[in-house]
Amino acid sequence: MTRTRSDHRNVFRFATVFLAGLSLLLMTGCAWAGKVFSLSGPQSTMVTEGPVAKAQWDLFMVTVYVTTFIFIVVGSVLAYAQIKFRAKDEAAEKAEPPPQGHGNPLIEIGLIAASVILLVFIAIPTVRDIWYTHDVPEAEKGNALDVTATGFQWWFKFEYTSEMVKLPAGGEAPLVTGNELVVPAGRPVRVHLRTIDVIHSFWIPKLAGKVDMIPNRANFLWFKADRPGYYYGQCAEYCGESHAIMRFRVIALDQPDYDKWLANQKLPARTVAAGAAASAEQPKIQFANYQINDGHALAGSAEFDANPLAAWHRMQAPEAGENAALVAQGRKIFQEKTCVSCHTIRGHEGMGITGPDLTRVGARSTIAAGVLENTPVRLAQWLHDPAHFKPGNKMYYGGYVVQEGTGFNATWKQNFTLNDTEINALVAYLHSLK
Amino acid sequence: MAEALAKNAYTGGAHAPAKKATFDLFARPTAKTGLVSWLTTVDHKKIGMLYGGFAIIFFLIGGLEALMIRTQLMVPNNRFITAQLYNELFTMHGTTMIFLAVMPLNAAFFNLLVPIQVGARDVAFPRLNAFSLWVWVVGAILLNVGWLSHFSDALKGFGGAPDAGWFGYAPLTSRTFTPDLSTDLWVLGLQVLGLSSIVASLNFIVTIINMRAPGLTMMRLPVFTWMALVTSFLLILALPAIAIALVEVMMDRNFGTSFFEVSGGGQPILWQHLFWVFGHPEVYILILPPMGYVSEILPTFARKPLFGYPIVVFSGVAIGFIGFGVWSHHMFTTGMGNVATAAFALATMAIAVPTGVKIFNWIGTLWGGQIMTRVPMMFALGFIWMFMLGGFSGVMHAAAPADAQQQDTYFVIAHFHYVLIGGATFALLAAIHFWFPKFFGRMVPEFWGKVSFWLIFVGFNCTFFPMHFLGLNGMPRRTWTYDSNMGWNEGNLFATLGAYLLGIGIFTYFAVLIYSYFKGKVAGSDPWDARTLEWSIPSPPPEHNFAAIPTVHARDAWWYEKHHKEEIAKEKAEHIKAEESHGGIHMPDQSWYPLFSAFGLLVGAYNFAQIHQPLVLFGNQVSASHLPLAITGGVIMVAALYLWALEGPGGYHLHLGPDGKVTESRGDH
Repeated sequence: MTRTRSDHRNVFRFATVFLAGLSLLLMTGCAWAGKVFSLSGPQSTMVTEGPVAKAQWDLFMVTVYVTTFIFIVVGSVLAYAQIKFRAKDEAAEKAEPPPQGHGNPLIEIGLIAASVILLVFIAIPTVRDIWYTHDVPEAEKGNALDVTATGFQWWFKFEYTSEMVKLPAGGEAPLVTGNELVVPAGRPVRVHLRTIDVIHSFWIPKLAGKVDMIPNRANFLWFKADRPGYYYGQCAEYCGESHAIMRFRVIALDQPDYDKWLANQKLPARTVAAGAAASAEQPKIQFANYQINDGHALAGSAEFDANPLAAWHRMQAPEAGENAALVAQGRKIFQEKTCVSCHTIRGHEGMGITGPDLTRVGARSTIAAGVLENTPVRLAQWLHDPAHFKPGNKMYYGGYVVQEGTGFNATWKQNFTLNDTEINALVAYLHSLK
Repeated sequence: MAEALAKNAYTGGAHAPAKKATFDLFARPTAKTGLVSWLTTVDHKKIGMLYGGFAIIFFLIGGLEALMIRTQLMVPNNRFITAQLYNELFTMHGTTMIFLAVMPLNAAFFNLLVPIQVGARDVAFPRLNAFSLWVWVVGAILLNVGWLSHFSDALKGFGGAPDAGWFGYAPLTSRTFTPDLSTDLWVLGLQVLGLSSIVASLNFIVTIINMRAPGLTMMRLPVFTWMALVTSFLLILALPAIAIALVEVMMDRNFGTSFFEVSGGGQPILWQHLFWVFGHPEVYILILPPMGYVSEILPTFARKPLFGYPIVVFSGVAIGFIGFGVWSHHMFTTGMGNVATAAFALATMAIAVPTGVKIFNWIGTLWGGQIMTRVPMMFALGFIWMFMLGGFSGVMHAAAPADAQQQDTYFVIAHFHYVLIGGATFALLAAIHFWFPKFFGRMVPEFWGKVSFWLIFVGFNCTFFPMHFLGLNGMPRRTWTYDSNMGWNEGNLFATLGAYLLGIGIFTYFAVLIYSYFKGKVAGSDPWDARTLEWSIPSPPPEHNFAAIPTVHARDAWWYEKHHKEEIAKEKAEHIKAEESHGGIHMPDQSWYPLFSAFGLLVGAYNFAQIHQPLVLFGNQVSASHLPLAITGGVIMVAALYLWALEGPGGYHLHLGPDGKVTESRGDH
């Protein structure tokens, strides 16, 4: 060896100084360091808002306690052995080897028994909670709301199978919404999980752990929101190009608010009365120059994030200064640009099922599956360039552009474009759908 | 039968036909240096170095992929790379690190060490060993060739690198959702890698069971060789499951079957079971050999035998067995039903016991020792600490309801990187540092080794420790970007900076190795005062490994020899004399055919993957499909295998002069 022991000491000194410096850095930037280990985000599994998520977190903490105990015991012995039995200097390294002991069966069997006992502490609550988190408790089954959630690349459809609505063409069908699941607080909800294409996974961290949506498989999960609130959810199984931005929201309302919401949902799409503010010149929306990373959250302005539930409630009321002419123009463009072939606006035009139902899109707090806050500017940006915000989505690939040829020779050809005036009208129309 | 085979290989001359090879299309190569010697080598040490060299290249490529992923995630709503490229990167990062970095690095050490540790001159089937290596190279090419489409428009037909995830969950891998060629190449590439692993595993099982030196009973085997044996059995038992699954995907994609096709009544969940019944033993395939390295390194630097050898070996075997009964803990969120979920949760907790036992025994090994904190020892101790943390988060996953929150989040990313970097990679870096002097004959400078250790240790923890919190804070994995109001900004930035530090550490580590290769201090045969047979022979080892096949008298064979010098010297002199009277040291001949048959496989598999695509050469359509070329490749492979069989085992003899000089003789059997 070219290096001597004093070099080794230098390395240790260097390492000690480095670690000390690092911890100092961490301490001085404490606020920032605290954020590195933050557990208070809108998808935190620690901030639980329902019994299922709470059972899951409590079980997690049992595992944390048991493993921390083991870590302290085993870690202390390991650290002690490393320090105590370290050769002090070069002479000690060259000394006669220590006694060549081969082991001690009693100690080993004792340690195995101890590990088994510690694992039992985890095993018992694990088995109990597997049954508890699986389905709505027997006593509450009568009170449960059944909803079917279907995963699409890359958004969620929600069907209220017990709430039928009259179809304009006659007959009735379950109430359908997209990307925002509105439920009553304090009541158990059983979500039946389906998929139209690949595997997705349905996850609302504050309410319940995830269960997968698997083709040809009838999965379900249940949760209960303890109180009214606005909860973030996200697809948790890799499902293709835009998996990262396949999100949704759950809005829990108290029973009267929920009933009111439900009653409104069952009505056909809203039409703006002609003449209202017809003369007022709508301000043009600026969207042509946008930067994706402008420092603000795409799906939540500071104003929105301050109280998301209140913001959601505000979305339910018609906007002031609606321009009936512009809305009517938007409705026409919605047909002309073939939007209707993929989207349904019940009571207006469109019976498409490829994209989300837009009957009340104006009352949703987000668009593009939880990716963008539903402001006029964000909606305009979305309509201007959907592929920018959600790469590979079917509204762009199949709508704005269509495929020509197959296989290696496939190319994408422009199908239609939207100019600023058209987007302006579409935004006014879609936002009028409350 | 097996014994007769081994005997035949060993004494070759007595049983081989008197005449030369029956059919000689290509002259049998004899070059000892230069390119041809490497392409035709059957020497387990050269094959090991080729495995290691290729694996390190892919380890660095996989690391670059990781750094691009971390750069994309450094800030919210980032557009450093596209979603498509991101998906290719994480798919190939996983595939590369598992199949093209850690597994072949382990294979490199199997090759370098197992024959020497069992006191043999080569593996049981030397040409088959070369075949495994070149087939592995074919698989690596098939998996990575898609990257070329990013560099040339003419190659855009590959459709990029594979992008369905390393786990390739059906039905995302069906023609409907991933129509491009990259997934076909991924399927064929994994299939070919599996072939390589099965062939290599059979070779090592035969080697370990049949070619042990006299006196080397199973309970005297070095722990690393034991782990190589268990790993080989895991490979041959686990790989068929994924081979079947891959064939089914291939049939679905190309020949209209409906194993996983939903519209045809297929069951995508079946893929998950088949994949994980391979995939979970695969985890132990990755980690058991590292447990072996650590079980060699700790006793050496504590200067006392491994504590509780029988229990360490037994727990390794137990892990191998239970490892086949826990696969569905990867599927706790698939709605398996309560009884299945509970059973797999409890089995997963059970496997923590033999894993914990190993940690206890390593600590017992340190207890009462004279610990020398050399670089390999530091990596080995780092391994124990980091692997312990990874094990704890593993137990957390075993609690199935808690796992419903952690599954597919960054908590899982943190967990398995603690196991696979903090565990497997730390142990591999320890092993590379530890055995470098043996195979390159030069020492690695301690100072720079320690610098790289601390950079890697600190960088690794800064990268992955915050990920536990990111996961608990709800950040899903495999996500190309995230919004800025989720509370993940700081954790991701910190992790990315840690990843850069880790990258600098890895770069330092390998830069120091390259420096040491040229300028390191010359190492003796036993620089660490080690305990197993490889340290009894010169550094680097001669082609024939041992002048005399050793007789093993105790568990740490070389340690015993060092402390019973006279007895051993007498024994060795007798052995050399006895062997010379049998015609000298018998060595296997080199061969072209392993390489040629692998080339045939490359041509065949590459064209078979695109069998339904028109064959276009220089802008002209030559044929409606790639079938003719696929058949051509198959013919080349089969022809090479026949020529391989017809060329015969061959071989030559080495003779040791009294002055230690080695002379070679041919054609004397």
